[in-house]
Amino acid sequence: MNTQEATFRILRSDPEHHERRRYETYRVKIDNRMTVLDALEDIKHGQDASLTYRRSCRSGICGSCAMRINGLAKLACKTRAVTEVERCGEVLVEPMENMPLIRDLVVDMGEFWREIDRAAPWLEWDKTLEGSTQENMLTSLQQQISGKLADCIMCGCCFSDCVSRVFDKNFTGPASLAKVHRFASDPRDKVGAKRIPALVGLGLWSCTHCYFCWSQCPRDVRPVAAISELRILSLGLGDRSHGARHVSVFMNSVKNTGMLNESALYLKTMRSAVLRDSGLILKMATRGKAPPLFPRAIPRIDEVRSLFSLIKERGEK
Amino acid sequence: MKYAYYPGCVAKSSAHELYDSTALVADKLGIELVELTAASCCGAGVVNEGNPLLNTTLNARTFAMAENMGLNILTICSTCQGVMLQDKWRLDNDSDLLAKVNEHLATMNMQYKRTVKVKHLLWALIEDYGLSKLTELATKPLKGLKAAPFYGCYIVRPSEALQFDDHNRPTSFEKLITALGAEPVHYEGETKCCGFPILFVQRETAFAMAATYLNNAKQKKADFIVTPCPLCHISLDAYQAKASSQIKARIDLPVMHLSQMVGLALGIQPQKLGFSKHMVAMSKALHGL
Repeated sequence: MNTQEATFRILRSDPEHHERRRYETYRVKIDNRMTVLDALEDIKHGQDASLTYRRSCRSGICGSCAMRINGLAKLACKTRAVTEVERCGEVLVEPMENMPLIRDLVVDMGEFWREIDRAAPWLEWDKTLEGSTQENMLTSLQQQISGKLADCIMCGCCFSDCVSRVFDKNFTGPASLAKVHRFASDPRDKVGAKRIPALVGLGLWSCTHCYFCWSQCPRDVRPVAAISELRILSLGLGDRSHGARHVSVFMNSVKNTGMLNESALYLKTMRSAVLRDSGLILKMATRGKAPPLFPRAIPRIDEVRSLFSLIKERGEK
Repeated sequence: MKYAYYPGCVAKSSAHELYDSTALVADKLGIELVELTAASCCGAGVVNEGNPLLNTTLNARTFAMAENMGLNILTICSTCQGVMLQDKWRLDNDSDLLAKVNEHLATMNMQYKRTVKVKHLLWALIEDYGLSKLTELATKPLKGLKAAPFYGCYIVRPSEALQFDDHNRPTSFEKLITALGAEPVHYEGETKCCGFPILFVQRETAFAMAATYLNNAKQKKADFIVTPCPLCHISLDAYQAKASSQIKARIDLPVMHLSQMVGLALGIQPQKLGFSKHMVAMSKALHGL
């Protein structure tokens, strides 16, 4: 078994005792099998007993050991130390973001749980099903959706690395939206799709599709895909919000010209708010950067329009 | 080298200087670009939320056009590249979806055969052209300039669909910057979102993203930010003054697209690369050359 000495640079602090944030460096002998959690255990039990972090199952099930490893939120028990060393030359370990720090690598998950509460992603049992002699079966498709989304272990990795959440505290975050989708598509839930209109107020349209939640989820839940599906459902329920308008204008633009009509998207989505940009619009126009108001359609636009019609006629999505 | 060229909507509209720069660079490098003029918008992750099947079918139509030409697709927009590769990934791994999409394409005598590759210019320069060859042709190496790469989202995530570079720590941009003689500058935010997807929906959040990452790059003494994406280009350059004023900072950091950066190193005159169209003056960054 190959072994090597690796550098672990760990962000330490104890706000309760006014201890400043500082990086402390430890050298740990690692082999090819060791996880970052194994190395943290070696440090705690062999070098510095004051190092504080959460851990429990060590098997990627409980989600306790989520932390930022070389800049990205991961489970320490699922992350091989040697891979991180090969990638970055060291293992930089920091607490998760978007949550207040308690000490060293331990964050207060309260903010994460409050967002889960706001979205209310739990089964509201349909009592009319009680006493039924039939099983309440899920279709294969429903099971696929629910099954994947039910894999979430609430570790907070997606919440930590969510870029929108950093700047928009009203955005409930990827995990809670993915969880809502799990119940919105469950026929045993009496609220079902009626959960969706309320999501606009929780930031349904604030996600940028940055795909961090997809990449960092240790269970491959792919919350961003769930958010896209919730948006589709929301549009189907007559969503008239700013975000819904953005999709509708974009779709019309592609149908009419085959391309994104930037001017139409900007003017029709922003409406009177464009007045705030009058100076910028003028400056862009004088530099030849203003997109045309009425762009020409692409050659063979009839093919694009026929695909729009065909798929709409068949009711396919 | 010859590609079916897919510049994307924004490079043919408000960021036309990127389209022009790419044409000059391709000419200089001997890369033949046959533009897919009849291809539709990739959907930019938005059409997908109106109707995912429609999004995939429109992109499959584009793939089929390139396959008919016997060419792989090259784009200069990482959003287009990411969205197209996600659709390609779905089609290449789901035979039922492929059958349904091809049934629609058959109405216009087209078929997607799963043979085409989709590459961003950045990837094509590394994989197909070769950075050592590019270095040899760089008659005006960017010595003394500090370039801050802004990967953004779609060129690094999700890795399942992209199959290039390491989303944990991408290095492709760094390699290109080094090959052209400049010094790459790393900063917090280089793989984050520029804010463009929510620019018209959640403007304050979008501005906060752009301003924060621009400011981080500036703090690391970058001379300019370089992007692989016309959408990032608009967000970071055109809206920079507004984004900066929201965080009450004067950032004033020039932004260029990678086609422009390559063009500079190849000795193409800055005025031909369209820097005069930028909102943030490029002169400060080019002073060192």
